[in-house]
Amino acid sequence: MVIYSFYIFDRHTECIYSKTWLPPPSVPGATPQQQYDAPMISTTGAAVNSASDPHQHSNPNALRSGRSAVSAANKASDDAKLIFGTVFSLRNMVRKLGGEDDAFISYRTAQYKLHYYETASNLRFVMLTDTGTLSMRNVMHQIYINLWCEYVVKNPLSPVEHKGGAGVRNELFELGLNQFITGLIGRTGSQ
Amino acid sequence: MTVFSLVIINKAGGLIYNRTFNEGGLNKLSTNDYLVLAGTFHGVHAITARLNPVKSTPEGRPLSNSTIPGVPGGILTRPEPPSGLEVLESENFRLQCFNTLTGVKFLLFTDTTQTNVDVIIRRIYELYSDYVMKNPFYQLEMPIRCDMFDRKLLSHIREVNNR
Repeated sequence: MVIYSFYIFDRHTECIYSKTWLPPPSVPGATPQQQYDAPMISTTGAAVNSASDPHQHSNPNALRSGRSAVSAANKASDDAKLIFGTVFSLRNMVRKLGGEDDAFISYRTAQYKLHYYETASNLRFVMLTDTGTLSMRNVMHQIYINLWCEYVVKNPLSPVEHKGGAGVRNELFELGLNQFITGLIGRTGSQ
Repeated sequence: MTVFSLVIINKAGGLIYNRTFNEGGLNKLSTNDYLVLAGTFHGVHAITARLNPVKSTPEGRPLSNSTIPGVPGGILTRPEPPSGLEVLESENFRLQCFNTLTGVKFLLFTDTTQTNVDVIIRRIYELYSDYVMKNPFYQLEMPIRCDMFDRKLLSHIREVNNR
């Protein structure tokens, strides 16, 4: 089982959390298993902020890395928008054909599989995995119950609306998610 | 195990064929809704091909490597082109999409337990080739109105549904 990325969209269709476990594009050839030991964290918002930090522009290397960070962040946010558009269209299509109680679960292409889970409050969880992975719906349900509700909803400092991802990217949630996913991969990897 | 319906979309995203085999499996939509569905699916299919998170082999690989004759490893190995959506699952149905090399899409809606859908869909493609493409009165990219195709398709699906 390989997990590529994970997204959360709020009811205003905004991507409030995204995380990828993809290898960095500059270092090809590393095996996927190695990357899971130290997951790559792509934080859309944080990358943009650090890139616009004036201190980074003092030397050309930092400038270049800053630029690539901006383009990477742009690509990540573009991806998130594309994913939301896809998921939104497919969900509406499924509900039109299968009735109002029908729910879109997943789709698969030859390269990857996308899993979808929507809560009653229109919070949408999306996970991209390899094609062999079985349904991740219960996994995302667990993330919702054990991580989202515990660390984001019950956090008194977290805002009601997570504009720009505010309140989601807290330490406990990050840590919990990382542990949960690493545990998941470790469990299936050892079998 | 039931096959609900078949939709054929041409390479421009237009609906050219739509037939329901089993009433009650899916909601009945108006013709207009089916046209919208075909167009939407066509767009979504293109996006899903672009969303591929796995980067294919690094670009700019020297071509000279691949043209050395007689070297077994010298054959150019093309990365598989990104494919769009192939199977969609929902709680009530499963949608299998078969995209031909010419860009025609066959969408087969089945229930969630249906097996061997790719075999069924390939057979439908054969029927399409035989009774639509070889029909001298059929105009490309236009809605399919071929009696023979209808008949063969119905008997094929009936066989599948009664299995």
